[in-house]
Amino acid sequence: MKEQMNTNFLKKSYGNSKFQRNPTKYKEILELLDSDIAKIMDKIPKRVKDKVEEIRLRIGRPLMICLEGSDYFLDKRGKLNERDRDSYIVTEENIKKTFRLLCNYSVYAVEDDIKRGFITIKGGHRIGITGKTVYGEKGIEIIKEIASLNIRIAREKVGISNKVIKYIIKKPNSIYNTLIVSPPQCGKTTLLRDLVRNISTGVPKLNFRGLKVGVVDERSEIGGVFKGVPQNDLGPRTDILDGCKKHDGIMILIRAMSPYVIATDEIGDKKDIKAIHESLKAGVKIIATVHGENINDIKTKPNLRQIINEKIFKRIIILDNSKGVGTIKDILDGNNFKSILDGDFKYAVYTKNNWQSHDCNIM
Amino acid sequence: MLFILKIIGSLMIVISCSFFGFYLGSRYSKRLNNLIFLQNCIQLLESEVIYSATPLPEALDNVYRKGNKKVSFIFKEIKDHLKSNKVYDIYDSFVYIKDILKNNLHLIDEDIEIILSLGRVLGSSNRDDQQKHFKLVLKQIQTQQKEAEEKKKKNEKLYKNLGVLTGLAIVIILL
Repeated sequence: MKEQMNTNFLKKSYGNSKFQRNPTKYKEILELLDSDIAKIMDKIPKRVKDKVEEIRLRIGRPLMICLEGSDYFLDKRGKLNERDRDSYIVTEENIKKTFRLLCNYSVYAVEDDIKRGFITIKGGHRIGITGKTVYGEKGIEIIKEIASLNIRIAREKVGISNKVIKYIIKKPNSIYNTLIVSPPQCGKTTLLRDLVRNISTGVPKLNFRGLKVGVVDERSEIGGVFKGVPQNDLGPRTDILDGCKKHDGIMILIRAMSPYVIATDEIGDKKDIKAIHESLKAGVKIIATVHGENINDIKTKPNLRQIINEKIFKRIIILDNSKGVGTIKDILDGNNFKSILDGDFKYAVYTKNNWQSHDCNIM
Repeated sequence: MLFILKIIGSLMIVISCSFFGFYLGSRYSKRLNNLIFLQNCIQLLESEVIYSATPLPEALDNVYRKGNKKVSFIFKEIKDHLKSNKVYDIYDSFVYIKDILKNNLHLIDEDIEIILSLGRVLGSSNRDDQQKHFKLVLKQIQTQQKEAEEKKKKNEKLYKNLGVLTGLAIVIILL
């Protein structure tokens, strides 16, 4: 095995790349919280505001925020505590009111989202919901008596795929079928999103003109489409099919939009595999993500095993969080499963000191 | 001279009494009109909610723009109240417009109660359930319409005639 070269593509340690942080959308989140909670969330240190990833509300339990892999309790003055001391306890009213504000007083409008367990709001933020589920004839009818809300703040990381893109570009002006393998919460959707942006926009430095991209965004995660407008930059040549099932979406895009590349999140269904075969027949390239620890893990999954062995995907990007969220563990050639990472990534290796200093800053 | 004054005086009495009678009578037709427009607006809201699943603030705004402004302004009031205050429940916004309904429209308490009952359930459940509530509310409004129409038939003429006749009676007594 080659020398392990890790890179944390979510960090600023990028050096010369075009990395830029999206202006924080924190304020617009506060507008949608119950006023009690919003007041507390407004009091937390500014440094933390820029980094908050999740706001978690659970009935009768302390208010919690998650950032950089760890979680903190909040007290009434907006102070962060690692332990549960005089924390603000979330009431049922807090949850109900926040939920109503989040869905704009219109449960019916987010009915289908609720069935899937989360809703997407303006800005591409996602709200996870748990409570009591009620089953009807067609599966989950509604989630009532909402007990927990998980507000995941979307932060578009523009530029994170700049280092990766050259591995998937196929000369002269095409790309390889690419599979992104990652455990949950390691940034696979974030990477996919930025890859789509790069492919759609083109990379002049690599002499790569943009390609038409179709995105099947089943869970509104990639584009964060709100009222038809993607809240994340996906490039000028991108068409997004929002909320559509992957296999249906792939077929619709091939028929309707003549894309050169189709990007989709979290494949794994038998139907998805069939649709991928269809798209290959139509000469469309695929970029997809999948849950998994490593290539061997993927090979044990019944449906995926088939397409891996068929060597459809020529590039396999493996992510983990061994060095923080978004560590690129390896990039494999799909034909022989050998690493093709080169020295370029040395410059982006993440440092431990960096991480620790973050921890000190928070408190 | 005195005779002319008398005639002018009596004419004024008759005219003012008739106007009063017409005014009392017109309340019935105005209420019927309001109810018809209201039914229209609620049907618009229903299609916004059930068929296009538009979130409420936007749906209310659309109803305001598409509906007859004489009545649809109340939906704008609700939306504005909803947006400017982080209300706990949309019902609070409906309660807020209760006075506006009373002062600006010619509805009776029963009609207003129907509108409020819509506020209690609006937006709080899925589309199937919302449809049931809309059906119920529309049915109630139709009943109110029928009742308003009957009352209009019965009372409008009565009040108008009563106004004219009262005017004449006063004139005769005074003469």
